[in-house]
Amino acid sequence: MPDMVPMSVAQPQERQFNPYSDNGGTILAVAGANFSVIAGDTRQSEGYSIQTRYAPKVFRLTDKAVLAVNGFAADGNMFVKKVKQRLEWYRHAHSKDMPLRAVARLIQSMLYARRFFPYYVYNILGGIEEDGSGAVYSFDPVGSYEREACRAAGAASSLVQPFLDNQIYFKNQTPAPGTSHPAHLALTDVLALVIDSFTSATERHIEVGDGLEMYVVLAKGSPLQGLELVQGVQEMSTTTDGERVFIVRRNLKRD
Amino acid sequence: MSIMEYNGGSVIAMVGKDCVAIASDLRLGNQALGISSNFQKIFPVTDRIYVGLPGLATDVTTLRERFRYRVNMYTIKEEREIEPETFAHLVSSTLYEHRFGPYFIEPVMAGLSKTPSGGLKPFIAATDLIGCLNFAKDFVVAGTASSKLYGVAEGLWEPGLEPEDLFETISQTILNAVDRDAYSGWGCIVHVITKDKVVSRTLKGRMD
Amino acid sequence: MFLTRSEYDRGVNTFSPEGRLFQVEYAIEAIKLGSTTIGVRTPEGVVLGVEQRVQSPLLEASSIEKIMEIDRHLGCAMSGLTADARTMIDHARVTSQNHAFTYDEKIKVESVTQAVCDLALRFGESVHDEEAMMSRPFGVALLIAGYDELGPQLYHTDPSGTSVRYDAKAIGSGSEAAQSELQDKWHKQMTLQEARTLTLRVLKQVMEEKLDHHNVQLAQVTPANGFEILDEAALKSTIQLM
Repeated sequence: MPDMVPMSVAQPQERQFNPYSDNGGTILAVAGANFSVIAGDTRQSEGYSIQTRYAPKVFRLTDKAVLAVNGFAADGNMFVKKVKQRLEWYRHAHSKDMPLRAVARLIQSMLYARRFFPYYVYNILGGIEEDGSGAVYSFDPVGSYEREACRAAGAASSLVQPFLDNQIYFKNQTPAPGTSHPAHLALTDVLALVIDSFTSATERHIEVGDGLEMYVVLAKGSPLQGLELVQGVQEMSTTTDGERVFIVRRNLKRD
Repeated sequence: MSIMEYNGGSVIAMVGKDCVAIASDLRLGNQALGISSNFQKIFPVTDRIYVGLPGLATDVTTLRERFRYRVNMYTIKEEREIEPETFAHLVSSTLYEHRFGPYFIEPVMAGLSKTPSGGLKPFIAATDLIGCLNFAKDFVVAGTASSKLYGVAEGLWEPGLEPEDLFETISQTILNAVDRDAYSGWGCIVHVITKDKVVSRTLKGRMD
Repeated sequence: MFLTRSEYDRGVNTFSPEGRLFQVEYAIEAIKLGSTTIGVRTPEGVVLGVEQRVQSPLLEASSIEKIMEIDRHLGCAMSGLTADARTMIDHARVTSQNHAFTYDEKIKVESVTQAVCDLALRFGESVHDEEAMMSRPFGVALLIAGYDELGPQLYHTDPSGTSVRYDAKAIGSGSEAAQSELQDKWHKQMTLQEARTLTLRVLKQVMEEKLDHHNVQLAQVTPANGFEILDEAALKSTIQLM
């Protein structure tokens, strides 16, 4: 054999498998007095590539609970699947739909169970509480949670959240003497703010756009509050005598 | 540790109807530690031009002096006041001179420029830390709260705002943006530039 | 008859040709040796009452525990092999706490009852080579009283793992007489006070000894105060009202 080159000395090599990726997108939820709006865009991306322009991030769990999941899409989809399974088991074991606060606590338990190999997702749960009030629960990936009036999460959360602080909580706004800010906004106002938030986020964030899905959950016996006039509204509930779920879809810029 | 976030601070400028506004927070920090709640980072360049210099505090001082020097030299040589467009290019070239060892500042400019017909036209611009110019028609932002400023401004701003409405819009934008940024805040200052006066107001904000 | 039994009454895993599980039936028999225990449901809450057989004057009556708390909104009275009940109540307590931990809500009375029944059926379970966890059915019946979104409820469980909801139920040695008395006297709009006196009256009828505050115990579950065992003073005053 021609001039033998000595085999190079074996070097330690490091290889790593990264089980996570970031699929962009943004979600948002707002609680009203007797309704709740849960929204998310439908773009799914990885880096600078768009994988699909329609990948839902918001899911109806029951007639009174809607879950929005944002972060690593594979984890998100699997997590929703597992929550739905647990809700089904609960229905069989206790012969009723799980109340919203119980769903919230269940999600905490499920997330914290994976404390050392987390679901890489931010969750926002919206719906109607047992007392008929609109509620939003937001979670971090390992299950820390809180009930709030509004919350944005995901890629454009830093763009949307301060806008919501200002428009929903009336932060940095002083009411005229003798008046006070409303504790809850009307449904049509909330829908307008949600659409504004997403058009703004679409404008300034490359991972947000394509489509917008807004779920509206109405309390039992609540009037439609102008929802009947919203174009393209679709009912998703199984009954009309309990809490009702609707979906409103809008296009967002695709660039 | 990012040098751009070492001292914190944010600036925004907005266009209105025959007016412009520029606003900043007043915080100076040493990373998470707050040092001053009256650290000015917006400076007048002429009667009708203001520049905001968010970024590394030491470079705020140095750049302010450099811009003062170069604007004075321009005024003396040209025997006229500098126009906002010209100043923007002065800022850009000053920064690009240090392309490979930059000042850690992202300047924001706002002013009224003379039109050939003798009127005044709102002008805003911003650059990155090596002087890449951005002439926006609506608003420009910079600093540690920039993403928040973009979000709120995109939601609140509309074309053709009168000076008082522009003041309200820019004030709400910066106050709500810096409240969600740990490195900005501790009060704000707003300058609204119109053809015959500049109105400067200091805003009370959350002190946490 | 004897022959068939002797062949089929040993294992808990084998049905007799007539389709019976003798060990379970014997376990149910064991309850009939236990002291009388009564539960009465009213719209205001549920009352539980037990007879405590004080076999010796040297015995400390207060050390006989036949009514126990499962959770704040759940109580339980027993009759039969009370030692077995400890295992069941422990299971019920863990189930209830786990439910509250996982769902941030009170478990339903029906659900804890079902959990206890699931446990009661674990006799006969053994994984191929491993030692079985339970060797025989539980020899105790429980009256589980509680309050949830469906209102006050009373459940009865027996060693076969069956659970049934009752308005009023008696178990133990005097249960037959007691049950027919309850059937006569119970009515829908009973107050809690009426339920307490009814419980005592029925116990008194079936007890051999003279009823006093040493040989009976009363407890109640109400929406306002949850589970509570009546203290000596409250018990004495109820006895006087009887």
